[in-house]
Amino acid sequence: MAFFEQHIHDAPKTFLSKYVISFDHKVIAKQFLWYGIIFLGIGGMMALMIRWTLAFPGEPFPVIGHFLFPNTNGVVPPDTYAMLFTLHGTIMIFYAITPILIGAFGNFCIPLMIGARDMVFPTLNMLSFWLAFLSAVLLLASLFTPLGGAAGGWVSYPTLSTTIGSPGVGQTLWCLAIFVLGVSSTMGAVNYIATIITLRAPGMGYFDMPLTVWGLWLTAILNALFLPVLGAGVMLLIFDRVFGTTFFLAGAAATSGSGDPVLFQHVFWIFGHPEVYILILPAWGIVSDLLSFFARKPAFGARSTALSMTSITILSTVVYGHHMYTTQMSPLLTQSFMMLTMTISIPSAVFFANWLGTIWKGAIRFSTPMLFSLGVVFVFGLGGLTGLYLATVSTDLYLHDTYFVVGHFHYTMAASVLLGGFAGTYFWFPKMFGRMMNETLGKIHFWISMLGLNGIFMGMMIVGYAGMHRRIYNPFVYEYLQKLIPINMFITISAITMGFGQLFFVYNFVNSLWNGPKASQNPWEVGTLEWTIPSPAPHYNFDIIPVVKCGPHEIGNPNLKGRDFQYQTEELA
Amino acid sequence: MVVVMAKQNILSEKEQGEEIISSVGMIVTLISFAMLFATLMMGFAMFRFSAPVWPPAGMTKPSLIIPSLSTLLIFLSSLCYFWYEKNIANKKGLDLTIFLGLGFMVVQAVFWHTLSSQGIYVSSGIFPSIIYAFTWIHAAHIVVALSLLLWLRFSGATVKVKQAQLRVASVGKFWHFLGIVWFIMFLTIFVL
Repeated sequence: MAFFEQHIHDAPKTFLSKYVISFDHKVIAKQFLWYGIIFLGIGGMMALMIRWTLAFPGEPFPVIGHFLFPNTNGVVPPDTYAMLFTLHGTIMIFYAITPILIGAFGNFCIPLMIGARDMVFPTLNMLSFWLAFLSAVLLLASLFTPLGGAAGGWVSYPTLSTTIGSPGVGQTLWCLAIFVLGVSSTMGAVNYIATIITLRAPGMGYFDMPLTVWGLWLTAILNALFLPVLGAGVMLLIFDRVFGTTFFLAGAAATSGSGDPVLFQHVFWIFGHPEVYILILPAWGIVSDLLSFFARKPAFGARSTALSMTSITILSTVVYGHHMYTTQMSPLLTQSFMMLTMTISIPSAVFFANWLGTIWKGAIRFSTPMLFSLGVVFVFGLGGLTGLYLATVSTDLYLHDTYFVVGHFHYTMAASVLLGGFAGTYFWFPKMFGRMMNETLGKIHFWISMLGLNGIFMGMMIVGYAGMHRRIYNPFVYEYLQKLIPINMFITISAITMGFGQLFFVYNFVNSLWNGPKASQNPWEVGTLEWTIPSPAPHYNFDIIPVVKCGPHEIGNPNLKGRDFQYQTEELA
Repeated sequence: MVVVMAKQNILSEKEQGEEIISSVGMIVTLISFAMLFATLMMGFAMFRFSAPVWPPAGMTKPSLIIPSLSTLLIFLSSLCYFWYEKNIANKKGLDLTIFLGLGFMVVQAVFWHTLSSQGIYVSSGIFPSIIYAFTWIHAAHIVVALSLLLWLRFSGATVKVKQAQLRVASVGKFWHFLGIVWFIMFLTIFVL
């Protein structure tokens, strides 16, 4: 692939061009990081309100309850509860994880790790962030409409999400916000794909790319392919709501020629299943790299890790039906989808074994990023295994829409991705801001988060297995669920603990920005390209475009003298 | 002499790089757009094959005359663009493309007007919903493409020849893509 060197631009001088309308991928990454962290806070607060309602139904939410819900003396009202779980899902997936893992790490890591001066389309990158910002404004505006924000679940199935189920403007704004965000993410994805294809440093083949870049690349491919599918779905939903088309109407509402609400489910999950891999792939990539970096060993089977991630990417496009076993699908179809879904466990097992192989007999350094990576190995293992029960038709019919599902996808999508995101934040913070984060606070943060989230999600699986359904305002009006009150209280207390644990992170993050010890060029002693330049990275990244001569995980080679790692720019020892 | 040669090599490598970048970028973008339209067509297929009779609810298909005219116009505009791509110094091909593209939009508007004057509205059932929504979405893309064509028409003087060629090629890919999408929609919704 023909390589060409990007021009070095002058450093931006004004505040506006430096921090607001910036074309620099590193600044855009930080913008996305802040954006994601803020929404993580909002979404987390919503989660706490949901949990509070489930553990202490009818009691006012502490401290801010009276301010938020004055009409009910601080108790979360039922319609608001529906809005909360809808927006919690939407915000966490589209406005917290996507910006942090894909927006921030994608923007930051891709050019630095492949030895480029910037993304290939800087303007598109800038537009991508500001469209995401516009989308956030639309979403938050929906909260202030007369009937409140969207309340049809984050999947927004018709007919809950058509004008019959949600008459307010909130749902329309939600659809619009998701559409705009989809455009923004697609722009980012086009940029990432093109950057990785065209701007790799000379000598860097695809298998010389760090696995982080592999993960981000595969994510970008899935994004570019499947976000337009969701875009088409929500666009037709907007047409249904605004112009009166009848795509998703059914029964009495569509007396003249019939629409089909299930069509939306198909469209949604054709997008939705790849979406869960969109979220997890960057975390997998980051973890695959960090395990090797901190175990001081080459990544075990790095090539097969990359290939198994690729095969998961391909398989993820043909398994969406397992979300829809209960929609009267023909048994032939459900069984095919079950088979295909089960097939995913083969490549998953391959890279999972590679992770274990990487840390096997390693000289592990238990720094904070490593702790979080090991956390991902644990929670993803658990989350992945529970997925088998949901992929199997016969068990899924019982578990469908229970808290078991909630526990499962939080283990895989929330816990793993969150821990992976934290690992990445602690790891690249020195390169982003030129300072180190505090290790002690980081370790406290890790252990509280780990205990908290296992308490929450393990508890959810137990109550789900006991038959508690999701999205119910007060499950304890049903007699058979009343025995679950204590364990629900346990889950909520775990959630509050975990929420408090995040304060350590916020303090550590903000404090380290100004007061952290200055970072050296390569504090973690690893050899990928971003560590060959000063911390923080200068605006042009690389003075001279590096020439790559070996893979990213050349650590612990006995031929090395003086240090146990080598840079990718050095000949293999 | 050697230095000059090296400089020329660097330049051509840079140009080559730009060409690859712009075509990779545009192709990925078009794949995204294609997925959007593919989703719409999938939805249409689902309605079409699950309905016992098509069109449903006693409707008849709209007359083929106006959609055929649209197809002809967009086909001719693509041809004109090919002609323009051969020699981008001559703007006549571009002018014709823009003119035919505008013509396409006018015919679409006439089509929507005819439908509504026959009492077929967006809300009259699934078949009109599909006709209106799909043609709207396609028309929205045509509007974007037309503004890109106009931008090409009036920005040409300031940029270098090489860059202008890349722009023409990228916008051209988009324009031909929309022509193909229209042809598929014409075939599946109106003809079959």
